[in-house]
Amino acid sequence: MAESAELARIIEGCKSGDAQAFAQMVDMYAGRCYGYFYRLTGDRDLSDELLSELFIRLVEKIGSYKGGVFESWLFRIASNIFHDHLRGKKRRQKLFDARRAQLQRVSDGPRQSDARDEMLDRLQVQLNRLDADTRELIMLRYYSELSFKEIAELRREPIGTALSRLHRGLKKLRELMEG
Amino acid sequence: MGNQNREDWQSLFGRFVDATEAEAAAEDVRAGERMLATWPAPKPDTELIAYINTEMAARQRRKRRLARLSRALAAAAAVIIIAAIALLGRGPASRPTAPMSYASIIPTSVWESEDVNAEDAELMYFQSEIRRIEAQMEALESGGDDLGPADDVEEIEMELMQIETEFWKG
Repeated sequence: MAESAELARIIEGCKSGDAQAFAQMVDMYAGRCYGYFYRLTGDRDLSDELLSELFIRLVEKIGSYKGGVFESWLFRIASNIFHDHLRGKKRRQKLFDARRAQLQRVSDGPRQSDARDEMLDRLQVQLNRLDADTRELIMLRYYSELSFKEIAELRREPIGTALSRLHRGLKKLRELMEG
Repeated sequence: MGNQNREDWQSLFGRFVDATEAEAAAEDVRAGERMLATWPAPKPDTELIAYINTEMAARQRRKRRLARLSRALAAAAAVIIIAAIALLGRGPASRPTAPMSYASIIPTSVWESEDVNAEDAELMYFQSEIRRIEAQMEALESGGDDLGPADDVEEIEMELMQIETEFWKG
């Protein structure tokens, strides 16, 4: 309760243009949103870009937030940003190149790179073997911390369909990680 | 991530499959989410956070400035329209008037300026001039001014021209 009252205060601060409230919003959500973008793209530079875009859009759109679950509103924007990114032809090419390079690095074994931590992230490699929609569903569920009912509403799909997809996706991911 | 274990997966799955299958599916999901927790994604750099905060503040300033200028522009447009209507009603019938772009009333330097205090001073001056002209218009309409009709029109025209000129100077 105290947490939601605090969030409500921060949202009101953002609506009235308080820079401190915006900074608190960033502190509160940057980690989770960054994780969401990173797990979907596997690219830190791109995740930096998408995260910046998210918070700039938040400044523009906070006035249109009329209540309801804030995370649902925020992650809908994050999801739209990710899909906008995918639709951009140049950016799509960049993502493809990054993934190809990443797979190449994994198959060639460790080599000197700035992205050493990414190279060692087995989860990221196996996540890339899931289909894009399942991957997004898993990440949305994990990083937004929304209830599954809210996730299904956000994705505008029947809860049974989303649940079945999540179950299959997580099971397959576990098998890939253990295999 | 905080609430992964708060979801009642078993009853959620139980709406679609029998109890045994629901229990197994719920355990699969819980195990999957535990595994995600053991492979945390990287965190955003502090430089990135600082950059985002700076960008948000800049965007907020721009948004506020645009809102202020829009209000001033709307007020100016309203006064000019009222003045034009009054002039058409009182002035010589065939006097030609140059078309006016309302956006041009606000000088480029104000649109592009980062100096909010200076802008505020200019806008306050501009708004006080608008209020003064409004008061004069009201006095004219109620017939409470001592000057003759032709002098009234010329005086208001002169003031509008002066405001526009001063505003262009910044």
